[in-house]
Amino acid sequence: MPTALITGITGQDGGYLAERLLDEDWHVHGLVHASDGHVDELRRRTSSVELHEGDLADAAAMSELVNEVAPDEIYNLGGISSVAFSWEYPLLTAEVSGLGAGAVLEAAWQLKQRGGREVRVLQASSAEMFGLPAQSPQSEDTPISPVSPYGAAKAFAHHFVAVYRARGLHAVSCILYNHESPRRPPQFVTRKITRAAALIASGRQDSLELGSLDVRRDWGWAPDYVEAMVRAIRYPHPHDFIIATGESHSVADFVEVAFSHAGLRPWRNYVSLDDRLIRPVDAAELVGDSRKARTMLGWRPVVNFDDMVRRMVDSDLRAASS
Amino acid sequence: MAYSWENARLTSEVTGLGVLNMLEATRLYAGTDMSCVRFYQASSSEMFGKVQEVPQRETTLLWPRSPYGVAKVFGHYMTINYRESYGMHASSGILFNHESPRRGPEFVTRKISQAVARIKLGRQDEVALGNLDAKRDWGFAGDYVEAMWRMLQQDEADDYVVASGETHSIREFLDVAFRHIGIEDWSQHVVQDPRFFRPAEVDALIGDPRKAHERLGWKPSVSFAQLVETMVDADLADQRTMVGG
Repeated sequence: MPTALITGITGQDGGYLAERLLDEDWHVHGLVHASDGHVDELRRRTSSVELHEGDLADAAAMSELVNEVAPDEIYNLGGISSVAFSWEYPLLTAEVSGLGAGAVLEAAWQLKQRGGREVRVLQASSAEMFGLPAQSPQSEDTPISPVSPYGAAKAFAHHFVAVYRARGLHAVSCILYNHESPRRPPQFVTRKITRAAALIASGRQDSLELGSLDVRRDWGWAPDYVEAMVRAIRYPHPHDFIIATGESHSVADFVEVAFSHAGLRPWRNYVSLDDRLIRPVDAAELVGDSRKARTMLGWRPVVNFDDMVRRMVDSDLRAASS
Repeated sequence: MAYSWENARLTSEVTGLGVLNMLEATRLYAGTDMSCVRFYQASSSEMFGKVQEVPQRETTLLWPRSPYGVAKVFGHYMTINYRESYGMHASSGILFNHESPRRGPEFVTRKISQAVARIKLGRQDEVALGNLDAKRDWGFAGDYVEAMWRMLQQDEADDYVVASGETHSIREFLDVAFRHIGIEDWSQHVVQDPRFFRPAEVDALIGDPRKAHERLGWKPSVSFAQLVETMVDADLADQRTMVGG
């Protein structure tokens, strides 16, 4: 039975990916951090994954784990997931998201050298690596120029993938633009909005505070992005792929779709702005050009922006009424 | 550099995270008065790796091809991030190869100058090297240190390429070094050893130091030939003080 190892398995993408791989009868192992509070949730959805407690930043432990599991595919989805957090803890971010990826790649390389068989690695890179891009949309050739510790750590990992690929490892980097789902934690702006819409609609909250309504992002549906990752790692040759919808929407657009779906019109009556929520440096328009993935992998996003927002609101409405 | 392949982890920690550690410590120390400390980051032309533009400038796309290059890129970005986000006077000098008699003998330039001095004194016959056609933009370390100092005297922190703007091959380095001890044809003294070839060779590394010329008023004072001869002379003096060698 083919085997996969997923770091960050308790995250949004990790869960969808585990389900996706279990559906095709893969043996799925996952790395979880000792302080991870989402293990039970994952267990409820996917009882058959084998979980290993460990720390991405611990290179020796990662090497041991990769040797023990001997995976065919490694998905490195683990790491610090928030730009704001990365400003508060830049070193921890660099250790986990940057060096952690290095540890995974080195462990895969060692396993390949010893076992003489292919080990494929997929790195979940981020559009944050582009920082304040000069061109829009961004492609695989857009200069990497991060403006946050999070982006710099992700850039480090992305560059490390290229280094190991040049060395002969089947190492793939998917540059993922924002992708959301009902499983996004509520500290992300998208989920914060849909949850607030549900709570306001059910009379449990009065209003929503946001940092900026003008920030624009290229938002996609997380399960679509997981599908792209699986296709990317299974493509015969390792490449970098931009995974994005190619459309950008503002936070205001997001709020509008979410609040009208919850019956809250006009949405401006329920939203106030709070300067403290604005990040030190916020990236300009990040929109991805995913033509390479569309052409080579036959991938395309299935769920559009409005549907994605509505699905998230529906899920939060269900939760609010239960 | 070669070391970075065997110790990718250590290289990442020291060369990459170490920079962030220093930046963070500086930021915490400076507190509300960011102007009280000036920070210099020693970035490297290895960051250009698979070069995207010739010659390389401050704006050239970085494409590192070694763990060392990747770690240096990380340090470079973080230096810029701290400057832009916290207003820190943090400058990054993208230094191309710079040599001197104080270079460690594991570097190819010093390896050659030391070997040439020993060959001159009859203490060695040959030297094993990697790819003789590898080209680099080499300058004199003393000049490059001057550029670093000038960066920190500016009102505004910035990034600067520090380079000679010329490129020379290992072969040319050998020509000048051997000629200096009176040997025109050095072929019998040099063997090529595949062990010294790098897994991924960087190509066409040549810096465009115009910004440093214009803004810092900096220019290298030592030419390529002077640099090589200085290194050989220093090693000759060094070897002569060693009894028996």
